[in-house]
This record gives sequence, C-alpha cells and structure tokens, in this order.
Amino acid sequence: MLDFLSMVFTIDFFYSIFRITAPILFATLGAVVVEKAGISNIGLEGIMMSSALFGSLTAYWSGAWYVGVLVALAVGIVLGFVMGFFAFNLKTDIILTGIAMNMVGSGGMLFLVRVITNLTEGRAMASTTSLITANLQIPAVHIPLLEDIPILGPILSGHSVLTYLAFILVFLTWVMLYKTSLGLNIRSVGENPNAASSVGISVIRIKYIAIAFSGAMAGLGGAFMSMYYAMGWSQDMVAGRGFIALAAQAMGAGEPLGSMLAAMVFGFAQAFGIKVSAIGVDSNLVSPIPYVVTILGLVVFALVARRRAKHQHSAAALEKLASKA
Amino acid sequence: MNRKRSIVFSLVRGLAAILIALAVATLLIFISSEGESLAEKLAATGDALRQLLIGPLFRSSGGLNTKNLSDILAAMIPTIFTGLGVCVMFSANEFNMGAEGGALLGAFVAAMCAIYVPMAAGIHVVFCILMGAVACGLMMLIPALLKTRLGVSEMVCSLMLNYVVMYVISYLMNAHLSDKSKGQIQSYPFESTAQVPQLVDNGSKLSWGFVVAIVFVVLIALFMYRTRWGYAIRMIGINKDFAMYSGMKVAGVIVLAHVLGGVLAGMGGGLEMLGRYETYAWRSLPGYGWTGITIAILAGNNPIFVPFASFFIAYLDKGCNLMATYCGVPNQLIDIIQACIFLFFAAEQFLSRYRQRLVVKSTQEELRLKAASVEGGESNA
Repeated sequence: MLDFLSMVFTIDFFYSIFRITAPILFATLGAVVVEKAGISNIGLEGIMMSSALFGSLTAYWSGAWYVGVLVALAVGIVLGFVMGFFAFNLKTDIILTGIAMNMVGSGGMLFLVRVITNLTEGRAMASTTSLITANLQIPAVHIPLLEDIPILGPILSGHSVLTYLAFILVFLTWVMLYKTSLGLNIRSVGENPNAASSVGISVIRIKYIAIAFSGAMAGLGGAFMSMYYAMGWSQDMVAGRGFIALAAQAMGAGEPLGSMLAAMVFGFAQAFGIKVSAIGVDSNLVSPIPYVVTILGLVVFALVARRRAKHQHSAAALEKLASKA
Repeated sequence: MNRKRSIVFSLVRGLAAILIALAVATLLIFISSEGESLAEKLAATGDALRQLLIGPLFRSSGGLNTKNLSDILAAMIPTIFTGLGVCVMFSANEFNMGAEGGALLGAFVAAMCAIYVPMAAGIHVVFCILMGAVACGLMMLIPALLKTRLGVSEMVCSLMLNYVVMYVISYLMNAHLSDKSKGQIQSYPFESTAQVPQLVDNGSKLSWGFVVAIVFVVLIALFMYRTRWGYAIRMIGINKDFAMYSGMKVAGVIVLAHVLGGVLAGMGGGLEMLGRYETYAWRSLPGYGWTGITIAILAGNNPIFVPFASFFIAYLDKGCNLMATYCGVPNQLIDIIQACIFLFFAAEQFLSRYRQRLVVKSTQEELRLKAASVEGGESNA
C-alpha cells in the first residue's frame, strides 16, 4: 500500500494537478461570472473546442504562440456575443443556445478543420496535431527563487504562462465581482433583473458583458488545450471540461475561490487517474473517476448547503424565541 | 390571432429557419468546393446542393430511390425514441441530457442479454430490449432523485453520467467481454433469436423496430395528452409552483418524466443495436441523444411531430453523406445545419415583427367585423 502511495503521489503528480486544472479553471471562471448574471452557459464546451481549433491554426500560420492565444480569446468573445444575440435578442432558450454551440464545437469544427486545411495545406486533415510543434507551444515560466525550493519549487514553478494566468484570474475575477461597479451590476442583474433595470442598469448590456466574459475565459481554456495540454486540435479533445466547469461552479457555490478549489478537486481526480493507469490499471476504469467525483461533489455540496440552511433557520427561530422572552 | 393565421405563421417561421440554415450550408459548401474559376466552383456547389437536397430520394435519372428511402427510415429508429424521451423530459422542463449515455447503455445491456441469456425465439428479443430500457430507466433515477431530493442540477449530473457510462462500458468491453479472437474490440455475436427481424431485406437494416417506434409515438402522444400523468408532466413544465399548490406530487412526477425518458432512450439504443448489428462494437457515445434533443425542439415537444422531425434530420444526414461521398464536402456539415435550424426554431423572437403584423391584421379584421355587426344591428333597430 505504501509502495502504491509513493508511486502515485510523486512530485510530478502534484505538478500535473495544476496543469490539468488550468483549462477547467478558465472555463469555471467563465461559468462563475455568467452564473452571477443569472445565465447558465452550457456552451462553454463548444466555445472551448472552437477557440482551440482557431488558436492552433493561427499559431501555425503566424508562427507565434501568442497570436494563437489572442485569436482563441477573440473567437471565444465573438462566440459569446453570438450566443448572447440568440439568447437575449431572439429569446432562444439559453440551454438550447448552449447545445447548438456544442454542436458547432464538435461536428462543425471537424467540418471546418477539414475544409480549411484542404484550402491551405492541400489536404483535408481531421486534426491539427501535426501542425503544432514544440516552438509553438505556450512557453513555460521558471520563477527564480521559487524554483530552488525543494519539493515546492518543482511543483509550483515551470508551468506555462496560461497556467499562472488562470490562477491570477481567480483573484482578478473576485476583484471584478466584488470591488468594481461592473461586478455589482453583474450580481444585481443576476439576483433581480427588474430591480437592476429600475435603477438604470442596462440589463441586456450587462448580460452581454457577462456572456462575452465567459466566452473569453472558455477561449483561453481552449487555447490552453490545443497549444499546451495537447499539441494541436483533435476531435473530442475538450472531453466534457466545459461541463465539468459548470459542476465546479455549482460545487464552489458560485464564488471564484471556492470554484477554483472545486476545479482543483477535479484536477486531482484526473491526475490520480492518469497516474494509476500509468502503473498498469486499465485506463477505461480510471477515466470515469473525475466525472464520478464531480457527481459526488455536487451531492456533498447540496447536503452541506441544505444543512447550513437548516442551521440558519433554527438559529433564526431560536433568536426569535429569545427576543420574545 | 386566429388558428389559420397562427398555423401560417409557424409554417413561415419554420421555412425561414430552414432556408437560413441552407443559406449558411450553401456558403460553406461554396467555400469548400473544388474548382479553379468562380464558374467551376459554382457548378460544384450546385452539384453538392443537389446531392444534399434531392439526392436522398431521387436517382439522377429521376426515379425514386427506394434503397436510400429505406436507409433514411432505418436511421430514424433510434432517433425517434431518443426524440420521444427528450420530449417527455423537456415537457417537464427538466433539461436531462442523459439520452446520449442512455442510448449507449440500452444498446449495451440489450447486446449482453442477446449474447449471454439464451431464450426461446420470440421472447428473447423482447426481453433484451426491455432489459436495455429498464437499465436506462434506472440510470435516469440518479439525476431524477438527486434533483428532487437535493436540488442538484439534473443537467450537469446527466452530462457527467454520460461519460461515466461510456467509460465503464469501454472498460467492461476491453477487459472482460470482448471476443479475443477478433482484431478489434467487439463482443461475441448475438444469438439469432435476439435479432430484430427486418422489414425489407435490402441491406438498409430497416427492421421491425421502425414499426415499434411508430407505435410508441402514438402511445407517448396518448400518454402526454390523454392521461393524468401526462397532464401533470406538462403542467409542471409550464408552472411548477402552480402544479405544486394545486396538489400535484411534483417530485414524483418529475422522477416519472426522467425515468420514462430514460426507458425510451434505452429502448431506442437496444432496438438499434439488435436491429442493425450482429456484435456489439460501439466505441464511443452514439450521438442519438443530441439528435434527439434537436428533434424534440423541432417537434415543439409534441410526440406526434417527432417522426416528421426525425425524418427531416435523417434526410439531411443522408444528403450530407451523399455529398461527402460524391462531392468531397465533409459530412459533418450536418452539425452546422442542425445547429442553425435549432437556434432559429427555438428563437421566440425570430420573425416577431411578422407575427406582430399578423396579430394587428387579425385584430383590425375583428374590429371591422364587430363594427359592421353593430352597424347592422342599428339599422335593424
């Protein structure tokens, strides 16, 4: 048993948690903000797929990784606006808009990659894995001083730029939501759109900003997937991470920090699965672990929330009694 | 707005959605078509469009293509079932996305029963498919109970379940159930008693499953519109609070909707598996669940319209396949077309100005009639 533990919980295991968490964390932050505005965006998955494709293609054409990342970001924002147009202007149900976005993200992108590579490369390719080479990968950053610390150094240093950005964005998102007027507007639109509108907030504008933000985050997550996590875009590469982000948002009670921790639980579960399958356990047996963990996490969260509500309820009742006496 | 006008409006709206989707498709086909000059590209686009729109039904000589038609009808079998399942679940306003994993589970369980549980001919196939349906119904209990007991989002839960089901089945196939003498991962062949008999023997795999599907369309339509339970499901979908205060057992009905949806999806998967294949060899999620969602949206959650929506999607799918074969346009175009139709169909405000005009026209006519009758009344007096 101890042998098994020492084989699994190595330094590169903990390092990989951050690597695996990053793309989910991006999407989770998107989910957090958009849920705060009262919208559930299940199209994150499709946006991640789309921006992953365009990010990797433009990185290849331009020969610069940052162009790819910026284009992925832009594609995410544009798709966010497209979803917003259908959901807010044409009043399509937001869930259905998300499903349509996911259709475009899976089949539609496979169509596009075939057509585009046929035009530019002269042959229809079903993935861009051969196009992204090591020098187009998002570069890793070695943090001086930190990397010299034993154990902690190799775990925390040497991640990609975007990995650090994801964790920095957790803080920035918190600041945006709780310390700026935009954040206040977003929260008020989510809690009570009529009240928000009565004090002169343009509800639709705030909703557009929120969904574009979620698109931008999913775009960065997509760029991370196709230009760092894997080399290039291939079908089904996002593998439900957009959905897991929604679960992480729910598990984290919709707060940036809590949702980050929930996303890391998922990262931990997946890193564990990868490690265990490297030891020789059938990968199909460990692959469902993250999804099972997500469902269990939702259940635990619901139980805790219910218990807390009960406590508050009884505490309030006791207080009432006390004040009467 | 009177009845005739509202039918006209929904027809115009549906056609407009389809036309927009086809316009997008034409643009994409044009971009992807081969050819040096503009004229050549246009000709290639025209060719591809002809394959997409007319190809599935007619031969180039003009005659009806019965083989393609039976292919289309065969392709409708699983999606009618998932479409019905999604209809039931969405009618209760429950966004359960588990039809995808459900169809896979139903197919897998039915296949296993077909291999390992020998029975007499006649009952065997029915037993296999019912087992698949039951397994899938039980699977849907998870999101249903978590939703009603704990308020866990049924959407996220069912999405996660899809992946769990897929990987667990892959594991079982890989490790324990595959026929090791074969090069690829596939099960042992089904018992002949477990196969769904074919309707026509031309290789289309149009089985009796199609007839069963149509029967279920009628049954589910009757259930939704002629029974207490169906009424409760629809009422909860329209206004949950109202349903609760009027004394309906909301939680129980929601669970019923999930389980019934699951049973239907599982049945579709099972019929498809035993009607089309001889061994189980699916490697990933089949996609019938997502198609089922599209179909339910096109059908407006009304079971009666499900076969038509299913036919439409199967027709387009066949057209896209023909286009891929003969014109080199990748057949995933179907997903983009589906997404476009889907978005505009579900868009409440799409063509709202046109509806507004129709409403105004109706009201003006009504007013005029009223005024006329009032005048008529006065002159009589």
